[in-house]
Amino acid sequence: MSDVLRRIEIPIALTIIATLLQVIPYYFEIPALESAANTASNGVLLIVACATFVGVISIIQVHGKRIQRQSEGWYYSLLVIGLSVIMALTGLPFPEAGLGVNNSIYNWLFINVQTPLGGTMYSIIAFFITSAAFRAFRARNLEASIILVAGTIMVMGNAPLLTNYFPFIADVSLWIRSVPNLATMRGVMIGGALGSIALAVRTLMGIERGYLRGGGEE
Amino acid sequence: MAFLIAGRIFGLLCLLVIMASVAYYIKQAQGGTVPKVRRIPGIDAIDEAMGRAVEMGRPVFCSHGIANLRAATSGPQTLAGLSVLSYVAKQSLAVGAELYVPVRQPEVWPVAADIVETEFKLAGRGDEFDPDKIPFLSTQQFGFSSNYMGMMMRERPGANIMIGAYWAESLQLAETGSRIGAMQITGTANSSQIPFFLVVSDYCLIGEEIYSAGAYLTNDAPLIASLAGQDVGRIIAVILGLLGALTVTFGSNILLDLFAM
Repeated sequence: MSDVLRRIEIPIALTIIATLLQVIPYYFEIPALESAANTASNGVLLIVACATFVGVISIIQVHGKRIQRQSEGWYYSLLVIGLSVIMALTGLPFPEAGLGVNNSIYNWLFINVQTPLGGTMYSIIAFFITSAAFRAFRARNLEASIILVAGTIMVMGNAPLLTNYFPFIADVSLWIRSVPNLATMRGVMIGGALGSIALAVRTLMGIERGYLRGGGEE
Repeated sequence: MAFLIAGRIFGLLCLLVIMASVAYYIKQAQGGTVPKVRRIPGIDAIDEAMGRAVEMGRPVFCSHGIANLRAATSGPQTLAGLSVLSYVAKQSLAVGAELYVPVRQPEVWPVAADIVETEFKLAGRGDEFDPDKIPFLSTQQFGFSSNYMGMMMRERPGANIMIGAYWAESLQLAETGSRIGAMQITGTANSSQIPFFLVVSDYCLIGEEIYSAGAYLTNDAPLIASLAGQDVGRIIAVILGLLGALTVTFGSNILLDLFAM
């Protein structure tokens, strides 16, 4: 029985059915299929909710071993598991027991730990942009020189002091953004859309198997 | 025509034409006619990056992005990333590289782990598979990125391969990889992140190149042929774009009306 369940045809067939269930009701008005597609979407939500536990198991496996072996920085692992347990328990959807999103511990951790840490991580992008810009803005060849010139104009175009005295910089900056930049981005987007359609067709035909175990060789 | 949903008929026609052309070229390939595909330096460099990492005695990091498999635009990017992971896992066993796969989405974790584990089994080394090297980091975007950066600083990978859907964390990850001297191959179809990857990484796959990566790496004739079918769609897009520009310039809305069918 387990050999049958591990057959590669099963995930391929499931993928094809799930894809058709989403694609056909998008173009055709077939109430029965639409209802089946909605049921399938709800099923996906349930699977995703269950998959959260898989993530928790992975965290416990990785960090649990680190704590057990007292590897370097094991106390951080303890902090991860401890805070995960506290957040999970206090966030349980039982408001009558004082738990859930209105729980004071849950709220305190969310507002005073998670939000500022997330904000900090986001804000350090500014420093990464500076060092990346330093590397990018070197006129090593013609392409790099074009980036340097265009980037400099864009930066200048966003500086009110400069655009106040030299209004043409704002016009040039706007032109760069809305003509060559937009044209390139549209090209990338159209190409990306075509690529994803071709990938969908390959998946639908069961020949794209890279996402399956061993590329479907098993 | 009530059977067909209004406003989506032209889209369906385009989709059918592209699907038919992809299917046609796949059939041709099965008959022995395989079109030539241009080399993509970024994909060719994956072997080089892995070899370099092994020579340096450093591990290889391979990430398939931070998106799930469900989203309409980012899901296919995750699939493309997983196809690359399949190849990287196989090659890492062939060249003896230590592979780490940081994961953000819990629902993608079993798929990624299964891909790597199966490659170990196919190589007859199933007992060497270590699930700790495919850690689920965090569902939080910046929780994931800070954890990934920390892993990179500790493990100091010689190669960092990131192909999939990325958002604001793209620069954080690629810049950290650059600082530790990892050879980086990146790729995304998220147009807002492509410039960051281009600036920081050694090779960058732009947009549709990531979808071709799986076909390109497996070198399987029908998969390679499907890329030619994709080109038919591109030709249609160019023709419609030119016709649209001309008709709108001359004051006609015929194409706009056709698109709205």
